[in-house]
Parts: sequence; C-alpha cells; structure tokens
Amino acid sequence: MKIDINEQSIEIDEKSNIEQLLVRLDSPLKGSAIAVNQKIISRSEWAHYQLKENDQVSLFQAIAGG
Amino acid sequence: MNHDQLVIAGKAFNSRLFTGTGKFNDQKTMVAALQASGSELVTMALKRIDMQHKEDDILAPLIKNGMNLLPNTSGARNAKEAIFAAELAREALQTNWIKLEIHPDPKYLLPDPIETLKAAETLANKGFVVLPYVHADPVLCKHLEAAGCAAVMPLGAPIGSNKGIKTAEFLEIIIEQANIPVIVDAGLGAPSHAALAMEMGADAVLVNTAMAVADDPIAMSGAFAKAVQAGREAYLAGLGGQSQVAIASSPLTAFLEAG
Repeated sequence: MKIDINEQSIEIDEKSNIEQLLVRLDSPLKGSAIAVNQKIISRSEWAHYQLKENDQVSLFQAIAGG
Repeated sequence: MNHDQLVIAGKAFNSRLFTGTGKFNDQKTMVAALQASGSELVTMALKRIDMQHKEDDILAPLIKNGMNLLPNTSGARNAKEAIFAAELAREALQTNWIKLEIHPDPKYLLPDPIETLKAAETLANKGFVVLPYVHADPVLCKHLEAAGCAAVMPLGAPIGSNKGIKTAEFLEIIIEQANIPVIVDAGLGAPSHAALAMEMGADAVLVNTAMAVADDPIAMSGAFAKAVQAGREAYLAGLGGQSQVAIASSPLTAFLEAG
C-alpha cells in the first residue's frame, strides 16, 4: 500500500506499524517523533499503530540548534 | 563542592553557562567545545527530516557526555505551531523541558510576545517546564512568570548578531522583579558580554553563535566559561557604586601642600 512520508510517496507492506516503517527507512528510533495525519503518535504506541493506505506521515528528528 | 548552584524547576546546575548546538563546523568540534564550556544544559532543534538528505545523529554524543537537553520550538510562527513542536520534542527527546521560541520574522528573529504568552500558558498547564525566549520586556516577563514558566530568557540583541547586551536597562528591571531565574539569551558575542550579564545579576546566560563561529570554538568556549564564572563571582561580591567625579584611591598626603 502507499503512504506519504514527509511529502514523499512510498510503498510499504500492508498492516505495517510505525516501528516497522522506521526500520524500513533505516531511521533512528531515538530522537525521533512521528505524527500521522497531523496527530502525534506516542512512542509507546509505535509497535501497535497500524498504518493505513494514504496516511500522511511526518517524521521529525532532533538536529543541532541554538 | 559548589554551593552556588542554579536551580530551575527542581534541577540543580553547577554551570551557569548554557549552550546551543547550532552552527559548529562538525560534530567533533561541537562536543569538544561544549565540554570546554562546562555547560550542563544544551539546546537543540527538531526538524521534519528531508528523506533525501538525512542529518547526522546529534543526540548520541550529547547523551554520552551527560548533557541535559533543552529542545526548542524554533521554526514555529505562532502559538499553535509552538505547542505542536513542544509536544513533538517531548516525544522525540523524552523531556518535558522546552525552550519556547516563536519568531515569525526571519530577518530579525525577534520573538512574538503575544503568541509566546499564549503558548506558555498552554504548555505550562500541560506540565512542560517552559523557558520562553522573549524580548527584554519586564511586563511580559512578569506575565510569563504568572503563567507558570520555569525561567525567562530575555535577549541581549538579535539571535546570532554577536552585538552584545543592547537591552541592559530593561534586563536590570527584569532581574530586579523576577522570582524565577533570568537567563540572558541571544546576541552575546564575546566573553565580556556574558560577564556583564552575570555582573548585572542574571542567573545564567545562553551562548551559541559566538562559540560556534570563533576561529577556535573550543578555546572560545573555555573563555566564556571563565567569563561567566568571573561575572557571577563579581555579582556575589557586590560591585562598588559609580561616581561622576574621581574619588581618590590613595590618601592625598600632606607633602603636596608642604612648602
């Protein structure tokens, strides 16, 4: 199925959860935050939260800043 | 043992120099500079990542060095965006500390007082430890204190300008009136600026650009650490008053009049 992540369209397996998505993207779990359709999904829910077709996923990460 | 600790929201700091992590040439220099500064609280930002160009992992070396993290809401243009950014930062970094900064204008990056107060009230109610970046406005700082902020961070000059303390008269009023820590943030371009803020009675300062863009960031960070310490000690020692006319330091001895 197709989802958008940070405005880029990607194909993922049906019934993927957020944790599986981050692993697939090779993205660090630490220092990351996720919103699905503008709603922040808490880290404790990542392993259970099943993504759906056309979900808009935003992935945020800690970067250097003042 | 240091008895002159700074306490913010129940957390004690031995160093009164807080630092940012932006603008360093590379991560190794950043970590070495932060170590040289003695800082125990470092700021960082949160960004929606570009899937094509991934950023370095900034977090691991900071955590390894025992730094406390202070995520900011940089990039937020209003209260709603700042609250969203704060909630993301809490998820990403597992801390409820937040440097609240809302600056809609990219030219001067001056903080929006109305949106900042709105966001501060909401975030404090949600249990965040809120440290708002604000103009040196004594009335606003009192409102932020009443809203439940853990400290206020008034500016010396625009972010990254290195101009020093252009708001001294108003910082003095803020410091005099505050019942929460006052951290002078932004514009401190030289160790002497940081020393001045501390002599005035600021509880701490936050420095980023002046260290990061120095020819030798590590040595500059050490210089800032000494300046902050000297300024603090001078404040505690009690500075002498000023006078328009000279007051002799040596007795004007009689031989001048002897004939």
